Amino acid sequence: MVQVEKLLTQHNDVEGSHTMDVYRSLGGYKALEKALAMTPESIVDEVKKSNLRGRGGAGFPTGMKWSFMPKAPTFPDGRPKPKYLVCNADEGEPGTFKDRLLMTKHPHMLIEGMIVAGHAIGASRGFIYIRGEFVFEVKRVEDAIVEARKMGLLGKKVSGTDWSFDLVVYRGAGAYICGEETALLNSLEGKRGEPRLKPPFPAMVGAFGMPTCVNNVETFCAIPTIINDGAAKYASVGTERSGGTRLFCVSGEIEKPGVYELPINVNLNDLIAHCGGVLGGKKLKAVIPGGASAPMLSAAETDVAMDFDSLAKAGTMAGSGGVIVISEDTCIVEVAARLLKFYEHESCGQCSQCREGSHWLARMFHRIEIGQGTEADLNAIAGICSNMAGQTICAFSDAVTGPALSSVRKFRHEFEEHVRLKRCPCKPEGHVPKHENHASAML
Amino acid sequence: MTTSEALTKPKITIDGQVVEFEPGDTIMRAAERARVDQKIPRFCYHPGLPVAGTCRMCTVEVEKAPKLTTACSTPAADGMVILTQSDRVRKSRSGVMEMLLANHPLDCPVCDQAGECSLQDYNYEYGPSKSEFKEDKRVWKEATTKALSERLTLNMNRCIHCERCVRFTEDVTKTNELLMDNRGWHKELTTALDEGMFNEYQGNVADICPVGAITFNDFRFQKRVWFLKEKEGICDGCAKGCSIYADEEKGTVHRYRARFNAEVNKHWICDEGRVSFHRYQNAERVIHPLLSASGSLNATTWETVVPWLLSEMKKARRILLLIGTDASSEEAATIAQMLPSFSSADLVVRSWNGTNGVQSSADDAAVDHLLRRRDHTSNTRGIESLGIKPWNSVTEQNFDLAIYFRCGRATLPPVMAQKEIAWGVFDLPEIQRFAAVLPGLSTLEKFGTYTNCDQVTQSFEIVVKGPGGTASVRKVLDGMKLKSSTPVREVVRDTI
Repeated sequence: MVQVEKLLTQHNDVEGSHTMDVYRSLGGYKALEKALAMTPESIVDEVKKSNLRGRGGAGFPTGMKWSFMPKAPTFPDGRPKPKYLVCNADEGEPGTFKDRLLMTKHPHMLIEGMIVAGHAIGASRGFIYIRGEFVFEVKRVEDAIVEARKMGLLGKKVSGTDWSFDLVVYRGAGAYICGEETALLNSLEGKRGEPRLKPPFPAMVGAFGMPTCVNNVETFCAIPTIINDGAAKYASVGTERSGGTRLFCVSGEIEKPGVYELPINVNLNDLIAHCGGVLGGKKLKAVIPGGASAPMLSAAETDVAMDFDSLAKAGTMAGSGGVIVISEDTCIVEVAARLLKFYEHESCGQCSQCREGSHWLARMFHRIEIGQGTEADLNAIAGICSNMAGQTICAFSDAVTGPALSSVRKFRHEFEEHVRLKRCPCKPEGHVPKHENHASAML
Repeated sequence: MTTSEALTKPKITIDGQVVEFEPGDTIMRAAERARVDQKIPRFCYHPGLPVAGTCRMCTVEVEKAPKLTTACSTPAADGMVILTQSDRVRKSRSGVMEMLLANHPLDCPVCDQAGECSLQDYNYEYGPSKSEFKEDKRVWKEATTKALSERLTLNMNRCIHCERCVRFTEDVTKTNELLMDNRGWHKELTTALDEGMFNEYQGNVADICPVGAITFNDFRFQKRVWFLKEKEGICDGCAKGCSIYADEEKGTVHRYRARFNAEVNKHWICDEGRVSFHRYQNAERVIHPLLSASGSLNATTWETVVPWLLSEMKKARRILLLIGTDASSEEAATIAQMLPSFSSADLVVRSWNGTNGVQSSADDAAVDHLLRRRDHTSNTRGIESLGIKPWNSVTEQNFDLAIYFRCGRATLPPVMAQKEIAWGVFDLPEIQRFAAVLPGLSTLEKFGTYTNCDQVTQSFEIVVKGPGGTASVRKVLDGMKLKSSTPVREVVRDTI
């Protein structure tokens, strides 16, 4: 049994938790009060001590990220440069739906976290970049911002201090790549959502050319509890290098899919058991532990803690916390082909290897799935992936190789069976896959 | 630079060679300074454009860095040790080539870029000899041959998505006419407006396109590039005097391309200048001496026209020598110095420009933020520096003979005298009013010096031979000396 420790979502079921009144009655905005009395440095120190790591996917230590922000940046003529805070709410990783829950149920928690973070880094404005499809969540967050402004928590002189800070909601337009922080910044600026070359990093040249700090919704939402109850309590959950709880989005073939807040180092097997086990009591075949980009784990590899370091050691990644459970009845080739079709569609197309490689892999996997693959194709996959991973501006091409490589390596027998039978063994003969490749139809 | 400055200059090592660089340089820029940049292949990088870092071809290995890095975007740091040809680097480049060639049509035999194509060259050096790619190639049916404008043709199938063209219209011309439609592998180059591109520098897009995706219509299918000889020249289309390559085969120029000149035109030339060589290949250009007889101009020989000119100059009392501001400084100086010695008349030397209402450099102005000038002659500043003043056609009159020397750019002036002689580059429709035409050489056919609008003096060499019976100024003056009965003052050879 897993130990259930809720730090963010304990008030999920409280009626009206998204409103200012209810949020305050549950102790909301106490952390802000406390933080405004603290110096920015001590807030950053507190967050560092909490071992909070970015919940967007990369797992970068949040306190350290904040400390990278320049203290008093100036333009060449000596005028002070504004600093910006950006919330990445472009939750697009397939299998991830935790930010959506937080914005629906606890928009004020996000706002409070952002004001505290803004105070810590000295930002003058915050942007919340919300995935365009989240129409309802946009409304929720915007309404909460209006409430916070009315209370004097946003705008000129935050809570009576000399510091001005306001939040702006920006809706994305449906591109997965805009979840990459520099592509998000480009999109925020009204440009094409394509990742930027780094360096310069956003802490130096970010949104609109100004020093910018980008964090995930869940990261911001963890800030109030860290400030309220102290870093030590937060760090006491999880591991030494990765503190706190995490919202796991469990989906796929599972009895009770949903968002589960659990200690970040929960064992994957326990997590699956906690969610009621594999759907219909079937045997587990594979788990994608951190959103579509994470390499799959086979059923034999699921005895692993879900924190960033343990999963990295297991050859995959914690990513965005999207746990996709795959049972024995599902064709891995189909899963991989479907995922690669997604990546083919979402590659921004800047870098040669990613643009051509994601397309190539998607076509090849589709061919294998419908029984037109050859042994040579299976052997070529590793070569294509090695030309992609780590070779491009952003981590997208690494993400493409995640499902491609892990599926072939761990379930090669299934691929070989497709090649041998010249059809999908899991489907009746003559079956046409639902996601027919749209390649030729598009042109 | 003092010795201490030289000592403190930061250095990097590229393939064992220690190279100095300026703070702020990228690895590519440092390699360019040391002229070892040819070791680093590139598609999206162009020294005249902002860095994109997307083609991933210019990756190099930096010692102690875990990943390969792009030379075009990585700042050079003192003490960096860079390998441009290590096994890791070559494997990465081979990977890029395999990806770029996967969907490339490989239609080199019918592609105009063949022979000067980066994809061909780099594939020869880095590319894999075979491909695992077995899918259907991506084909843009409608954009296989698509006009981007009247001047450019796009073949999207050949495009490698380096986006140099997009950044050119964004950053250089600032017209934003080109953009990429869609995303990822079906990203398609298109014009922002249905009307197509409209800037005056479109030819550069064809120049910088590393493959055969964008070609310049004027040169498209005209000549295989391996037949061409690249010769350096100066465009005489306006007062800017951009540096160009004139690509020539067997005495015929087939195209101009921009030649880098940091002081004048950087990497670019305008479209008007790019096609301006056609002006001198004009079928109506006068290329044999003409002399009027009984009211019409008839073809004649230099042996006839030179003595005729000498006798006319002797007869005249007041002569106007009008020199077009498109003449080279050498031509203008020689004519202005030597012609008076063939006549005892009162000889007035003046200049004439007339393009876009310009007479002197004071009338000249930039037409846009890049290169083009109002003054469409190439040497207004140079002629002025010789002390030759513009002709005032109102106050300076009453000449009985006028000799107008120009090289095809300056306009026809108003009537100068009862008898007018044309010398230089003229077309048939222009010469009705003249008593004789002495055909001369255009910029491509001679050597000389021009001083541009910014006082930059540049010399140029002969690219092709003058057509037909055209003759250099020196040759004509030599002939005049031979036929002249009076002794002629020698001109120092240097000034010619």
